[in-house]
Formats: sequence, C-alpha cells, structure tokens
Amino acid sequence: MTNAISAAVVRLALALALCAAALPAFAQSAPEQLVRKLAAEVTESVRKSPAGTADAARYNEIVTRSLVPRFDFDRITQIAMGRNWAKADAGQKRRIVDEFSRLLVRTYSNALSTLNEATVEVKGTRSNGSDSDVTVRTQMVGGRSPVAIDYNLYAAGGGWKVYDVTVEGVSLVSAYRDEFTQLVANGGVDGLIAALQRKNGR
Amino acid sequence: MKFSSAKLAAIAFLASALVGTPAFAAKPKAKPVPLPPPPAQQQVADDPLEPLNRAIFEFNDLLDKLLLKPVATIYSTILPTPVQDGVSNVFGNLDDVYTGVNNILQGKPERAGKDFGRVLVNTTLGIGGIFDVGSRIGLEKSEEDFGQTFGVWGVSPGPYIVLPVLGPSTARDAVGRGVRIVSDPRMYLPPAWEWSLLGVNVVSLRARSLRTEGLLEQASFDRYGFVRSSYLMRREALVRDALEPGSQSPGR
Repeated sequence: MTNAISAAVVRLALALALCAAALPAFAQSAPEQLVRKLAAEVTESVRKSPAGTADAARYNEIVTRSLVPRFDFDRITQIAMGRNWAKADAGQKRRIVDEFSRLLVRTYSNALSTLNEATVEVKGTRSNGSDSDVTVRTQMVGGRSPVAIDYNLYAAGGGWKVYDVTVEGVSLVSAYRDEFTQLVANGGVDGLIAALQRKNGR
Repeated sequence: MKFSSAKLAAIAFLASALVGTPAFAAKPKAKPVPLPPPPAQQQVADDPLEPLNRAIFEFNDLLDKLLLKPVATIYSTILPTPVQDGVSNVFGNLDDVYTGVNNILQGKPERAGKDFGRVLVNTTLGIGGIFDVGSRIGLEKSEEDFGQTFGVWGVSPGPYIVLPVLGPSTARDAVGRGVRIVSDPRMYLPPAWEWSLLGVNVVSLRARSLRTEGLLEQASFDRYGFVRSSYLMRREALVRDALEPGSQSPGR
C-alpha cells in the first residue's frame, strides 16, 4: 500500500521533471498558443450567445473570464503612467490600477459587442529583442475588412502575460500614456484618479 | 478642382475617424509583478497648431453631427448590407489603383502586381468592382497612399494638422492627399457626377464607422488627444511596415 503510493509519487515527480525539461523547447511557441487559445475562447463565447441577446453584461463576463487572467494589469498601468508612476504613492497606485482596469474591461467589452462573426488568425511571432518579450501578430477577419491586432507578451513567473495590445498600429498603452501625461500635468496624480473615476461613472 | 479639397477631404476625415478602436482587458491583482517598464517616451505629441487644430476638430464634429451622421444613418438603415458592401467595394476598387501606384513608387513591384491583379479581377469578374473576388483568391487588399510613400522616401510627418472636413493629418499627409485629389479621375467628370459620386463615397465610408464610433467616446478622456496620438501612431506604423521587407501592411 505504502509502496504503491511512494511509487506513484516517484512517477509523478519524474513526470514533472520531464515536463520542466521539455519547457524551454516549447517556450518559443507558448505565447502564440496563448493568444490563439484566448482568441478562440472569446470568439467562441461570442458566437455561442444567441443572436441579439448578448448584452454589455454578457460581454463583460466573457472578457473577465477569458482575458483578464492573461493580462498583467499592473504592468500595463505602469507603462501607461510612464515617469508619473513614481509620483504616486502605494494607495494611489492601487486605485489607478483598479480604475484603469475597469475602464479597459468596459472598453474591450464594448468593442466585442460591435462584432458578430469574427475569427482570429495568428500570423506569427516576432521577438522584441529577447526570448521573454515577444509580439504575436494576429488578424481579425469576418468584418468588412480585416483588422490587424498585435499582442505584446512577456514571460512572467507563471506563464506569458499580455502587456500591450496594438490595433491597426495603434498601441493602447501608448495612446493612454499621452492622455495620462496630460491629466497628471493638469491635476496631478489625484486629478488622474478623479478623471478615471468619472470615466467609470463612480 | 476648387470643390475637390472639401470633397475628398470628407473621405479622409471618415477614414481617420475609424482609427482608435481599443481592444483590451485587465484586472487588478493582489501582488504586483514589479517589472521595469520598457523605455517610455514621456513627451505628449508635438502639436504646435493645437489651438487651431482643436477649433477645426470641433467644427468637423459639428458638421458630422448635423449632416454626415444623420445621412449615413439613413443610408445604412434603408440599404441592405450586401448593397452597402457593393457600394464600398466599387470605391475600394478605385483606391486599389492608387495603392498599386504607391507600391510601385515605394519600390514594391510584387505588391503592386497584387493590387493591379485585384483591380483587374474585381473590375471584370467582380462586375465593375461590386464584388471583391480578389480577396477570395488570395489577392488581399492593402492600403498605400501618397503620404505613406513620402514617408518611405524619408519625408518626416511635420506638424499634426486637423483639416477642415478631412480631419486628422500631418503636413506630409496633407500634401499626399492633395496629390490624390488632383489625380483622381472623378475630378474630371461633369460636376453633377463628380459631386454625386463623392457624396455617396463619403456617406458609405461614414456608415461603416457608425457601430464603432461610440467606443472612442467611451474610451478616451480627451477625444482630440486620443485621436491625435492614434492617428500619428497608425501612420507611423503604416510607413514602418512598408519599410520592413516581407511584412505586409495591416489590412483595412
């Protein structure tokens, strides 16, 4: 009995060790797989919703379930804040991350609701100067014209995380960086927080 | 010619209104992952003409609200989608000719071949461009204009300019639009034809952005600034893509 258990444990440990050894070999394609999976999940959920019934709340749920865990929101906010990040204290940082994430989830949910049938084709992966920082290029087809969407990912402790999305050459993080810079210049970090809260209707 | 800037202006205005449809999601996490952000330039876009630009931006908005949007809404309500697609394909067919010309000017003959192949196939099999047969046989649509070509030649964008009716531009892109306008065959049609064609083109383009326009409003704090950074980034990406061999410019 004990023997059987220890044998199983040994086998499990062995299997894990093998997996770990195999990891670097397939790490290269991992971000592409992640994006493919993420896109498939989202388009599948959108397709499953009976026509016309998919409302904002439903899209919000899809986004929260499928996308949110794969996005590094702290990093996204940090990049969007640029040099102003250092001006915020810990409490302010937490509030900015929280409000900004709400805004982005809502925006993305709304964007989804404008699509009916769309599929995502992964066009390839490009390294951003290192093995742990890549851009996965995709194209969303199904609408009148294809939309180029690039995902920037980096290797985090527990897997790959998205830290920017570029739609038709427009980086979301960079677009918000300009806005945040302006808001902080006008009203300081607290002004930025207030603007985010207003935007979120809170 | 004297009417033309106002006319084709509207086309570009609408096309640029499409820019900036954010896609994103994220969530606050308990434990932050403290990774140094990549070098981020802190400078907000250089915009020496900002006061004037903002005024024209407001004017364009008003014009859209009072005239273009209502007409485009009626257009998209009464016409079935396939008809709308056909209309926009016919105008797209003419755009493909310009894309081909610009690909030649940018030194990309194989891309130009694809573009002219599209025009040939779509004009014949696609019955005057109504059906986009080309896309179905591997001749994908791309978008190259004179502004991009100047960029590929090394011309810098110059200051950001919001053109009346036309919308976001830069000094370089505005010149590019001028070249397009004076070379457009529609310019040399009898005025009634010219204006009708232009009107339909503008309305058709505007109708395509009806569903997504609310996104910009919802996502941005200062719509003017958001449109500006989106426009500048997109134009830069289009020029950069044209310079990278093997890469294909993002399709629209």
